[in-house]
Amino acid sequence: MPVIVMASPKGGVGKSTCAVLLASEFARMGADVTALDCDPNKSLTRWASHGLPKGVTLHSDIGRSEIVATIKNADGDGKIVIVDLEGVASQLVSRAISQADLVIVPMQPTALDAEIGSEALALVKEEEEALSRTIKHAVVLTKTSAAVKSRVQKELENQLRGAGIDMIEPSLVARAAFSELFAYGGDLTSMLNNPEIVTGGKVDKALLNATAFTEAVYERLK
Amino acid sequence: MSGSNRLAGLTARPKDTGPAEVRKVDEVGEARGFVDRTPRKKPGRKPSPRTHQLHPKVFPRVGEAIAAEAEKQGITQGQLIEQLWERYEKSEKD
Repeated sequence: MPVIVMASPKGGVGKSTCAVLLASEFARMGADVTALDCDPNKSLTRWASHGLPKGVTLHSDIGRSEIVATIKNADGDGKIVIVDLEGVASQLVSRAISQADLVIVPMQPTALDAEIGSEALALVKEEEEALSRTIKHAVVLTKTSAAVKSRVQKELENQLRGAGIDMIEPSLVARAAFSELFAYGGDLTSMLNNPEIVTGGKVDKALLNATAFTEAVYERLK
Repeated sequence: MSGSNRLAGLTARPKDTGPAEVRKVDEVGEARGFVDRTPRKKPGRKPSPRTHQLHPKVFPRVGEAIAAEAEKQGITQGQLIEQLWERYEKSEKD
């Protein structure tokens, strides 16, 4: 089954949020998900420490020398491998990309995120040439406004599409529930059904957004 | 979106994982600034497990002889004393 890699040399763009949402939503669909936490900040490990959703297995502390073998071992029938990478330009990132079926580059709708994120997109292209195989890749905009699409976001989307970059729709809206997942663990459904969890945001809207995002990713894996 | 039967259709394409391919990927990455950023181990000698300090005062000729023997054997004076102690313990048992 596919290997999905979250990559961007910039930190704080939403790689771990994307990884958690995809891991929990694919598990909810019935997949056996293996998540690899390769980020020294250990965001996925912190999420897992509060409880993993059923169907998700997490491996932490994966370094550059282990990444290729770990992905190979985790990959198998009925399994989806999701790799959360560190927000730096490193060999760990380039090696993980080489093992991907789909590379997702999250970026906030800002010029800085786009500029640094484009380094990951360029690396994917170069690895495709070096390995003589296609590596599917797409950009997802993160932390977007639920109310309005900013002028900067519209311009950025046009530029990326103009450059032939695949854009995942919908974008991931800035939702308190996405951040709170790291504090409560589990998935958005368990958060929605637990009255004791107070997020200060609309969990139902967050769940709809995450489901639509996962569906869009699924379409790219077929 | 529901049902694992949908997911059953998803397949992973085979990927090259050999050392030659990894080297190629490393070269491509390094050219773009994606370099090895693995934290280096602390440099220097590891602390010795020999933490107990003796304070013997001996005649100069004995001290000089111990120092010369340790140097000859390529070991520390402490290691030489440990060897001597081992022999002493063994002789006590016999």
